[in-house]
Formats: sequence, structure tokens, C-alpha cells
Amino acid sequence: MSMTTETLKANLKEPAIFCCRRRRGTVISAADLEDPSLFDDMAEAGLLTLSGDALTVEEALGATLLADCEALTPILPSIVEGTRKTEKEKSERLAPMEAGEPAGTPFAKGASGMMHIEIKSLEGLSLDLPWPGLFPSEAVAAAAPAALSAAVPSAAQGEDKTLRTLTKKYFQAADVVIGEKTSFEDGVLTLDRGLLEKALQADPLVKEIKMDVIKPADRHIYTDTIMDVCPIAAKVSGTLGEGVTHVMEGAVFMLTGVDEDGTQVHEFGSSEGYLDEKMAFGNPGCADGNDIIIRVETIIQRHTGMERRGPLAAHKCEDVIIQAARDVLKTANQAPLREEICRDVKKHGRPRVVLVKEIMGQGAMHDNILCPNEPCGVTGGQKNVDLGNVPVMLSPNEVLDGGIHALTCIGPSTKEMTRHYFREPLVRALAADEELNLLGVVFVGSPQVNDEKTFVSERLGAWMEALGAEGAIVTTEGFGNNHIDFISHIEQIGKRGIPVVGVSFCAYQGQLVVGNRYADVMIELNKDQKGFENEVAGCSEICPKDALRAVQMLKNKMMGVEIKPAPKKWSQQVVDGNNLLLGL
Amino acid sequence: MTAEYRFYLKQNIGTRSEPIVRQGDRVERGERIAAKPEGLGAALHSSVTGTVVLVTEDEIVVRDTGTDFFSYRRLTGKTPWERVEEAGLVGLGGAGFPTAEKLRSRLGVNATVVVNAVECEPILCHNIARIEEEAGNLLDALQIVMDLMKAPNGVVAIKRRHTKAVAALRAADRGGRYRIATLEDLYPMGEERAVVSETMGVLLPPDSLPSEANAVVINAETALRIREAVVLQKPMIDKDITVAGKLRENAGVKVLRDVPVGRRISDVFEMAGGLGNEYGELIMGGPFTGSRTTPAKAVRKTTGGLIAAECFPKGPEKIGLLVCACGANENRMREIARGLESSVCGVACCKQAVKVKSAYKCENPGHCPGQIQKVMELKKQGAQALLIGNCTDCSNTVMACAPKLNLKVYHTTDQALRAVNHPLVRRMHPDEKNGKNRSEANVYDD
Repeated sequence: MSMTTETLKANLKEPAIFCCRRRRGTVISAADLEDPSLFDDMAEAGLLTLSGDALTVEEALGATLLADCEALTPILPSIVEGTRKTEKEKSERLAPMEAGEPAGTPFAKGASGMMHIEIKSLEGLSLDLPWPGLFPSEAVAAAAPAALSAAVPSAAQGEDKTLRTLTKKYFQAADVVIGEKTSFEDGVLTLDRGLLEKALQADPLVKEIKMDVIKPADRHIYTDTIMDVCPIAAKVSGTLGEGVTHVMEGAVFMLTGVDEDGTQVHEFGSSEGYLDEKMAFGNPGCADGNDIIIRVETIIQRHTGMERRGPLAAHKCEDVIIQAARDVLKTANQAPLREEICRDVKKHGRPRVVLVKEIMGQGAMHDNILCPNEPCGVTGGQKNVDLGNVPVMLSPNEVLDGGIHALTCIGPSTKEMTRHYFREPLVRALAADEELNLLGVVFVGSPQVNDEKTFVSERLGAWMEALGAEGAIVTTEGFGNNHIDFISHIEQIGKRGIPVVGVSFCAYQGQLVVGNRYADVMIELNKDQKGFENEVAGCSEICPKDALRAVQMLKNKMMGVEIKPAPKKWSQQVVDGNNLLLGL
Repeated sequence: MTAEYRFYLKQNIGTRSEPIVRQGDRVERGERIAAKPEGLGAALHSSVTGTVVLVTEDEIVVRDTGTDFFSYRRLTGKTPWERVEEAGLVGLGGAGFPTAEKLRSRLGVNATVVVNAVECEPILCHNIARIEEEAGNLLDALQIVMDLMKAPNGVVAIKRRHTKAVAALRAADRGGRYRIATLEDLYPMGEERAVVSETMGVLLPPDSLPSEANAVVINAETALRIREAVVLQKPMIDKDITVAGKLRENAGVKVLRDVPVGRRISDVFEMAGGLGNEYGELIMGGPFTGSRTTPAKAVRKTTGGLIAAECFPKGPEKIGLLVCACGANENRMREIARGLESSVCGVACCKQAVKVKSAYKCENPGHCPGQIQKVMELKKQGAQALLIGNCTDCSNTVMACAPKLNLKVYHTTDQALRAVNHPLVRRMHPDEKNGKNRSEANVYDD
């Protein structure tokens, strides 16, 4: 792909390679030369061999070609006349170029140990430097002088307004049994086996349904593909995001599915196999180490596993069973194990930031249910696909109160399951950050059709502009097709002058296929050693460390701290280095 | 031969023509049957003598009751302008822009009329065939347009390799009044802006018309039909057509002169000796920009080619589309992908393709901007092969990298070109610029 005048300037010292066949007599210009950012990929694919003799871009410009030349041919001094003489300080490496499309996490610069704050014009500055304060270690503070409060007058603080409060009360489930009558007494959750019959009636597409209880020690057991992990949470008072929610601790539901022919419900990789090998226990969306897993196994109508209606039917049936558990949890007669208070706070004077979560919405089988009647439920919720994938705003509390029920059936390891949203680490990190004013969490779908992709991205951009956002983090689950939307969202936000950080699984298998100049700061979610979708449910989803890196990266970008470009190829070392910087 | 002739009311850019005949009316060959609508449009004339049997929103059907194809009802306009307007002429290169409207565009002093005789779609050769025999008429036509537009400069743009036609033009231009510009044998040399760029050295932006270069570009057959309207008072009722491909005479290429507009496609193939037993699809137009048609459809004013293409080979499971502005559009490419029984796993668009209104236009036709990134992108999306519709230069670039990436390359023109044993559009031969059409049939082609 030939260069523009802009890319040309950045690449004067790079080797000059013809992008296409050129004729004798051609006076070489930017339009004739291949963009050096592609050289790495091209060399890797065996398309290009660079030699040290090639002229640099700077030297070749304006020279006249003496013979016809094929595409991807380095321009040698012997085939041109009228080259410009320049000092021979070619860029150090011939092959590697900085990525226009970074595949790993860039990290912050500032190893000098100096803190530099530049303020062009300001009145009445009163500095409160959080040193070491907010940051867990000195090294990080040195590396990340992005204490945003430094730039805002301290007087502006102290006028925070709590918009709503949510109390989550956690009740310990010591045991789960299947019996005759649903109850929750003395820490024992009993589920009526008659519920299965009732659940089956929720949707005719579900042909068979089974339920069993898997204790932590019994996880070496075969399972069909894991469609979801769903907490048991029930609204006791108030509406979604405020009031009181009861949450069962120590027991979660897990939904699995196959169709009548035994085909796993999945699209890109399914997670059937031995349960102990197929889930990243302890990650936000997964069962924890000591959780009792209530497995609901569904068999759905033949050939509907790749359609939206099939998986949806399985979720509906499971919801009938969970609802029975919710109903008894509401009237728990024991003392809660612990309480968690979540607040939606308007933090006065702090920069306004928005979290954008791209969710799947590709008609076929990817959908998400927004704002159901009960936390993490299905009934009463709005289907993202039916809404046209347009951006929908939830408050942080609404998200953490189970405002999303996930139906997504993409690659298991990057999939954000229902429990993920209930414990979303990035929502928690942003909401808890005293330096940032989290305006809300936008959920935007990833439509199948390209024109619709543009439409939803543009609407997202319009929202961000209208909200006056001063910073944004965009996350996505999956990889590949949805990266088109992901990058487009980043562009729509970035081009409005809003600093934006991307968060995604990319690594080796999910390298970004598109990019733009706003997509220059990325957080890598991969947890697989080789960088693959490893079909372990919840393995490469957003975890607390990722969330903290993302928040710091956003602060760095907002403060104009230099962020090093990522190396072209994914490297775990970059992520490790960043974690180290942040003391994680 | 089918007696029914179908005259589509929409044969041009703009609005459809308005019927002025009713079922049962008798019409003569050359008689106007639909009027030019308000605004952009053109009149429509019957190419046969007979009875109107059907008038619908879309077409007028006339049953031929014994037409003398050598005569026609003459146009009645007194001045050349009136005759051009009355004749229902549209751009015959394929686009169908109403000619009278085009000639009304205001040019500055010292303007130029360029006759586009590039005929750059492979296989099509009816323009050149006509010019070889009627070079003088073409120059007369050019002078008529120059007079109409008060433009002092006249240019004929033609491919260098058509040596016979070039010689005929040079011979006919006794006074040396016109410039005969000879162009290389590359697709899309005949694209309007490419013609302006090659003959006048002005590269127009994609959304510009030649008038911005103080020029007007007229397709060669259009010019000849303008001459017929002005000199012979003949309305636009006949069309030259190249009929080719899987005919009964295999790999045939036939030029049919003055095929009456409205004649059934199957009958036109009969005129060329008949369709063969086996073919993949019927294409109306050239291999690059033509579209699928059926035997029951009828010849339009803009019909230049009718090609019975080779049967589709079985393609790979997953194919990536590289869409560009100069060849088939995405829908047409998807149609071809279905023919190959491949599912489309990715679509990339050439960097130079710019959306102008609903279609793409190329920023710099015939000059490749580099395709490697797009090729790698499609490969990443899982493509096992590529379907491209690119021009000669861009196809050449694709061939410089795709095979190395183990991607087989299909071109949208393959089946049409195979049907006439024409070399496929792949890698360019280094000598191609010398006017010899020698693109190699590449080893990656089966």
C-alpha cells in the first residue's frame, strides 16, 4: 500500500520498496513506495527480503527509474538516477517497524525518575501531589506521573454527589442438593427436581434438560461446552443498581448445551471436555475455586446451536430454575456472610471518563440481554440484537447488579459470561478510582453488517461528544470480526479529541487486522502461554490486573505521558513489564 | 426469430421515458414510442414496424409485422441540435448518460472533444471493427460534435495495438486537423478520466467531470450515432454488438452491426450462430463491468457485448473479495463467488476506490496504489483464494504477492476470457506496454 505524504515523513529513513510495478522513467514519489509498517508482515510471509543496499525513502524520492521494476522490489542505487545524497544513518533495524496496529501493551516511559508536569496556562493552581499515595510503589509513581488530581484545583473536590447506593448481601451456601422442594435453609440450597419439568416448558426448542451438582473436588468430570456461568442473585428491594440484592456465595449455575445430534453449541471453539481443564477458575466470569457448581445441561433442537434462538432457549430454561433459587434466597433466614456497598458517585471536578464495552450482537447466535427483571436474569430484559446494537448506557451500579445476562457463544476463553459483568473488574476499578469521574458504562453491540457497524460506531462517537467525555476505555470480547467495530469505536472517540485506550484479546491468534492512528494504546488480555484462543472458558477475559493497567494507561494518555509503541509482535514480556511497573 | 421486441423505458441515467403509444397502435421503424421525460432522460423509438402489444411501467412491447430494416422514419428536426435531442441518444459506452444533456455542458474557450475509441474491455471489438471501415465517418462525427460544442480541438483516443484502425484514422485525417492519441493496451484505459489523463495530462479527482479539464469525452459509437442522427436523420434504434464465447462455433467472437434495439438476447446469439450447449452464465457488457443477463431479455441501447461465459470451476471453500472501482462491484463479485461455490469470508476494498454517489470511482485509474496489505488482510480473514476484479496494473500487483502467500487468484473476468481463449488477467508481461496484449496465463490458474 503506497504511502501518503503524512506516512512518508515518518518513514524517510526506511528502505524504499516499490509497492507495484513501475515503468522506466518514473520519477519516484510517495505513491510508488510501499508503507514500511507492513515490512514485518511481508517479510514474515516471505514476500520481501530486505538487503542493506536498498536506498532509503529519503534518497529515492525524486529519483528517476532507469528500468521497469516489479512490485516489492527494493530500489537499488544501480536502477535509478538522480538520488538525493543523505547521511547514511539509516534506521537501525531494517526490518522491524513500529506497529500502526499494536498487538501488545505499550508501557509507560519515565525511567529517569523525574516527574514532569507541563501546564501551558493556568490560574490559581494549588497542587496536591499524591506521592506515593495512590500508587502502590515508587517505581510506578516514577513511571506514571499521571496523577490527574495534580492538575485540578483541590478546592473542587469534596462536592461529590452519590447518585444511588446498592447493597449486596452475600449468603454462604454450604451445600447444594437436589430434592423435593426448593428451599434455602441453614446454608443448604435445595433445588426441587420438578423444576426441570417446568423449565422444559419455557421454550420448545429445548428438548431435554438435566441438572446435577458438582462439588469442588469432583470437577474432573466431562462437560459439554460451557455456555455460561451465572450467579444466583435476587433483588430484595429497589430497582436494578440500587436498594438491596441478595447474592449466593459459594454456589453458581453453569449452563451447557448440545443439539439433538450431539453438536456442541458454539461457533468459534467450544469448551467441552473435562471441567477441571476447561474453566479458568477464580477469574471474574468463572466459578471460584471453592464454588459448588450447579450444572444445567440442555439439549436443543437439531441445527439451532448456530442460530440465535437455540442458545437463547437454553438460557431461558436455565433462568426458570435460577428464579426458584432467587425466590428462596430473597427470604434467607440466616445472617449475611458479608455486605458490599456499591455507589454511583458523581465525582466533582474529576475528569469525566466513560467505559465502553463492546458486546456481541451478530444476529446468528451472539446476543446479550440488558436490564432484566432480576439480577443476571433473562426475563424482562431487552435483547441487544433487537435494539439494533445501538449504544445503551448503564450506570456502574446497574452493571454490577447483574444488568447484563450474556448469551455470547464465541471463543470460550475471551467470552465474558454473565458472572463477569456481575464482578466486572474494570467497572469496579474505574468506579473506585478517586481521580476519575466514571460517567457510566456504554454497551454497544457488534452488528454483522458493515454499514450497521459504522452506524453504531458513529452513534457511540456522538454520545461521547455529547457527554463531554474526557477519556474512554473501549473493551471487546472475542477477536477478528468484532475487532472491526472495536477499532472503529476507538476511531470515533479518538477523532473527537478524547484520549482512548483499547482493551482486547489479541496476542498471537487474534492480531488486529485493522487499525487507525487513534488505536495506539492497547491492553492485552491474553493469558494463554502461546497467545491462542485455548478453549478454556474465561481464561483471557478482563481480570483485575488488566483493569488496573487499563486505568493507568488511560491516565497516562490523558496526561500526555509518552507511551512507548508496542513491538510489532505480541510479547508477554511487555504485559509482564507493565504489571511490574504497577506492582501487580 | 421472436417477433416481440421489448423496449425498456429505462435505458439511460435519469428518469424513464414516457410512453406515447397504446396497446394496439401501429408503429413504424424509427417512430417515437416514448417521449423524453422532464429533466434528465431520453426519447425512445421503435426499431421495428409492427403493433404495440403491451405497455407497462417498465417496457413497451412491439410485435414485428415485417420490418424493412434498411429504412426508418426520419427525424424531423431542422438543425443538428434538434436532431441530436430528438434521436434519443445515450452514452453507448455502457453508462447511458443522455447525450444531448452531455453536449449541453458549457466548456471554456479552446475546449477539446475527445472521441473515446479505446474500447478497453477485452473481447469487445465492435467499435474498432466499425472504425477500421468508417474512419472518415468517425472524424466527421468528431467535427459535428466539435461544432455543436464550439470546441476547436478534436482528439481520437485509441489503443496503439489497433494498428489498422489507427492507420485508417490517420489516412482519413487528410488535413491533419485532429490528434490521434495512441494509448497502451491496459484496462481501464477507456475509463473517462483515464482518457482525459492520458490524452490531456490532467488527472481529475473521482467526482469530477471532464468539463473541469475543459473537455468532453464521447464514446466512439455514440459519436457515430450522433453523425447518423445529424446527417442521416436516424434515431437511436440500432446498436453494434460483440457476441462471443461459448457459441456453437466454440470460442467465437462475432461483431454484429446495427442490431435492432429491443431484439431478444437469444435471437442475437442466433444471429451469431447460436449458443453452445454448455455455458456458465450470459454476460451483457464486457468481462470487467458487464452483468448477468438471461436469454429472454432484450438488447438495450447500451448493450455492447453479449458473452456466453465458460462454466464456473469449483472454487475453494472460503474466498476473499478484493473490490475495486474499475471492475465488478461487490454484488457482482458475490454473484461470481456463488458461481464458484465459495463462501465469502472477507471483503477488502482497493485504497484508491472512492465512493461517488452510490458507486466507486478510482482515484487514479490504471495506476496501482499497492494491494499487498489488502491481500494479507484477506488471508488473515481465512481466505484460501482471492477473487479480484482489478485492472491490469492492480492485478499484476496482486499476482506479485498472493501466490507467495499460497493464495490462488481468481479474476471476475476469467470465465468470459476462457470462453474465447483470451489470456487471463494476471501478471503483466513486461512487453505489454509495447501494445502487445500478452498477459501470461499464470501457473496458478487451472
